[in-house]
Amino acid sequence: MNLIFRLLPWLLPAALLGGCGAPPPAAAPGTVRIRWAHDPESLDPLVQPNQYATEATNLLYQSLLQIDYQAQQPAPALAETLPTTRPEGDSVLLVTYRLRPAARWDDGRPVLAADVAFTLRLLHCPTLPTEGARAQFGFIRALLPDPAHPADPCRFVLRCRGQAPEFALATGDFPILSEHALDPGHTLRRWPLAALADRPGTAPPDSALARVGRRYLAAVLANKLPGTGPYRLTQWQKDHRLTFERKARWWADSLRPRPAVLLARPHRLHYLVLPDDAAAALALRRHALDVYPQVPAPLFARLQAAGPAARLAAATAPSYDVLTAGFNTRRPALADAATRRALARLFDADGLRRATQAGLGLATVGLVSPVSRAFYNDSLRPVPFAPAEAAALLRRAGWQRPSAAAPWQRPATRANQPAQKLTLTLRYRAGETLFETTALQFRAAAQTLGIGVTLLPTEAGALTEALHRGDFDVYVRTLKGNPFVFNYAPILHSRAVGEGNFTGFGTPASDRLIEAVAAAGPATKAPLLRQFQALLQAEAPLVPLFFLPTRLVADRRLRGLAVSGVRPGYAATALYWPAAPAP
Amino acid sequence: MTGAGLGPLAARLLRAGAGVGLLVSVLFLLSRQQARTALLQAEAAGLSAAAHPTEAAEQQDIRRAQLHRLGLDEPLFYAQYVAAAPGQPAHWRWHGRRNQYHRWLRALAHGQLGTSLRSGRPVGELLRAALAVSVPLMGAAATAATLAALLLGQWLAGHPRRTAPLHLALVGLQSIPGFALALALLLLFANPDVFDWFPVDNLGVETVAGLPDGYAVATLGQFVLPVLALTLSALPGLALPLAAALRHELAAPYAVSARAKGNSLRQLLRRHALPNALLPLIAQLADLLPALVAGAAVVETVFGLPGTGRLLAHAAATHDYPVLVAGVLLVGTARLLALLLADAALLLTDPRLRWPS
Repeated sequence: MNLIFRLLPWLLPAALLGGCGAPPPAAAPGTVRIRWAHDPESLDPLVQPNQYATEATNLLYQSLLQIDYQAQQPAPALAETLPTTRPEGDSVLLVTYRLRPAARWDDGRPVLAADVAFTLRLLHCPTLPTEGARAQFGFIRALLPDPAHPADPCRFVLRCRGQAPEFALATGDFPILSEHALDPGHTLRRWPLAALADRPGTAPPDSALARVGRRYLAAVLANKLPGTGPYRLTQWQKDHRLTFERKARWWADSLRPRPAVLLARPHRLHYLVLPDDAAAALALRRHALDVYPQVPAPLFARLQAAGPAARLAAATAPSYDVLTAGFNTRRPALADAATRRALARLFDADGLRRATQAGLGLATVGLVSPVSRAFYNDSLRPVPFAPAEAAALLRRAGWQRPSAAAPWQRPATRANQPAQKLTLTLRYRAGETLFETTALQFRAAAQTLGIGVTLLPTEAGALTEALHRGDFDVYVRTLKGNPFVFNYAPILHSRAVGEGNFTGFGTPASDRLIEAVAAAGPATKAPLLRQFQALLQAEAPLVPLFFLPTRLVADRRLRGLAVSGVRPGYAATALYWPAAPAP
Repeated sequence: MTGAGLGPLAARLLRAGAGVGLLVSVLFLLSRQQARTALLQAEAAGLSAAAHPTEAAEQQDIRRAQLHRLGLDEPLFYAQYVAAAPGQPAHWRWHGRRNQYHRWLRALAHGQLGTSLRSGRPVGELLRAALAVSVPLMGAAATAATLAALLLGQWLAGHPRRTAPLHLALVGLQSIPGFALALALLLLFANPDVFDWFPVDNLGVETVAGLPDGYAVATLGQFVLPVLALTLSALPGLALPLAAALRHELAAPYAVSARAKGNSLRQLLRRHALPNALLPLIAQLADLLPALVAGAAVVETVFGLPGTGRLLAHAAATHDYPVLVAGVLLVGTARLLALLLADAALLLTDPRLRWPS
């Protein structure tokens, strides 16, 4: 034993050096290695449990329209052009598409309107876990031949219930699946789409529907579901890595000019699932990783500082995710807008942006990003951090402080009720530095005015439950947005109280305005959105603090890296190494 | 082993088995009550980016349909206490065998652990793939920690003055949280700025030809730091009690007598003190498994290994209850086996347990 201890100082370094000291692995030509923080969990194109699943399925399957990350707007993918719309009466919208004639499945068969119709029917198969997609696309009631070109199998008209302007884009937002591969006997065709969509959950099981559903699920579980995308999945080790290989012959290769959404430059895409940020940063530093998206702020600053020497390039762009505080307007103390406006002045948005995002991100007046210049209300100014002004506003709202040690109070609005006291509970997701810092800053500012704030960091699931129940006074969370859709009904309409509208806010005027914004066409949307931002600032059920930045660090030699505010923040298919020019 | 020893062993096995069964059943029933939370969370993750957001009424319909598809709209247990309502006193309602718990038990009896709510994959498949990484990791760490504890324990007991700094270092090591230890190793030995010896870039884990798809083994280099982190976190808990037990034995009259007869310190430790001091170590070893599972969750996250610890931690965070319940069942059963083995080892090493007076 003594011998072992004598040798230990020599054995340990020898053992350490034995299996290591490997030089940084260089990327194979045409290969790009990207970090993911989590596994995509499922590659079911109709059910995408997280952002990574969406990113992965976009490589395998294609929709009629896809996001062009450079232009930050939807662009035609399987569709030849953006759709045209035509109202029919006052409750139906007809959306006309033409598929690209060159679009092909891997077996060479063309992508036809029949595949689109099949996919829509498949969404409504009762045995599939597609309840969300069913609700999302339930407004599409029928797929009809284009009356102007009835013989063209690539042209079709989608008959939609309702005339919301976002339908034009929403009708192109689901992956198209092959009827020939999943339903060669065309058994689903006997069901009209509307009949399937309206089929009650209590209806007796149908063997044909169940058979197609089983075939679909088996193909998904075996990762053998054919798609028109440029890549095929060659390896998936759960929680570890995924490898996508470029198809040798892909239908869009023959297109000239090639639209940005149909680029597929890397021959191979490795996604490495590294949950720990430090491990991911080290892998990037030693060039075992080429792209590190969604880098936390402190790490971003360090990698940016190390950039030139470490051959790294850091890039950032404002995202459409906004840090937001919300008030429970059902609480008597927070029922009036004046009190909410006063409390909104206790959030130091600029200070928080400096402290948590190194000054990146964008200050805002509302839920519309300042990047969307046409819609952003630049005549308003962001709510300032002004505790003294907040105290004055509170007094104007009827609050008084009998003594320096006593809490703020005001008489009850009804007789037989005790006087209202201004003490607050603030909920946020536990373990999230951004929320925690915001909550602590608010509490510190409130304490200077003598307002007691109890912080309730809550586990994610319990927080969702608590927000649904209305068990909070104030919350802090991130609202995810995008530059295409401006429908605020799910978070602020009175119909959504108890669901997505956690604040409980909703007046007839605000409901009308939200509905008008959702229904507005391009010509009328801007003034309505400006009005909506003014109303939101005046009523203050929500206080949008600032838009968060997208941060990305990549190998400096990598080209085609257009950092965008739309998730995931970059287009993996557009990346290439200068030595291996794009196909 | 004699019949006298088997009785208590069987009784203990039964008790522990019932305990595991009860724990898993309670977890199942509690988790099913929280199923709505899981669906709400999945909704929050999945629908926020929708181009056409769903209305509140539609969201309620979605949830109802999901509960129906997953069988979560059925009664939870055989019987249910119904609170008093106008015109109806409080009472118990009997649901018979058409309930979620019965369905789950029946599936479990057929070896089916259910389907993940998040991935839609069979839980057994997910656990098998994760175990292929975790069993070698935890096995190597347990073996290394035990061997190191045996060596260090004897050294600490035999040379208390010379090894005082080591003793202090072990006490210090015990106070370091697992994640700090794992991060320190990562930043020391996988860092291009310090020692770039064991890169954690995930490319060291390869699928081996011949193994089913999804099974992975890590190369030695990829495994060194995680095993070291787990070993170091488990080592003080094994070595320090062993050293204390050995010191106690060395002070016993039989040890003094053996020393007087001319035995060297090494002989005394190995032949006389160690067999007597092993008993607490065996008990500690039975407790090692839960510590290793907890440590593996941290270590696998830091080093990016796709093992059971990470699988269960993620299942807990995302409320993927079928995976969580199956994981607890697996860990509980493994713990039960560890206790059984420890009892058997104790019976073998200590004759007093075989022949109680």
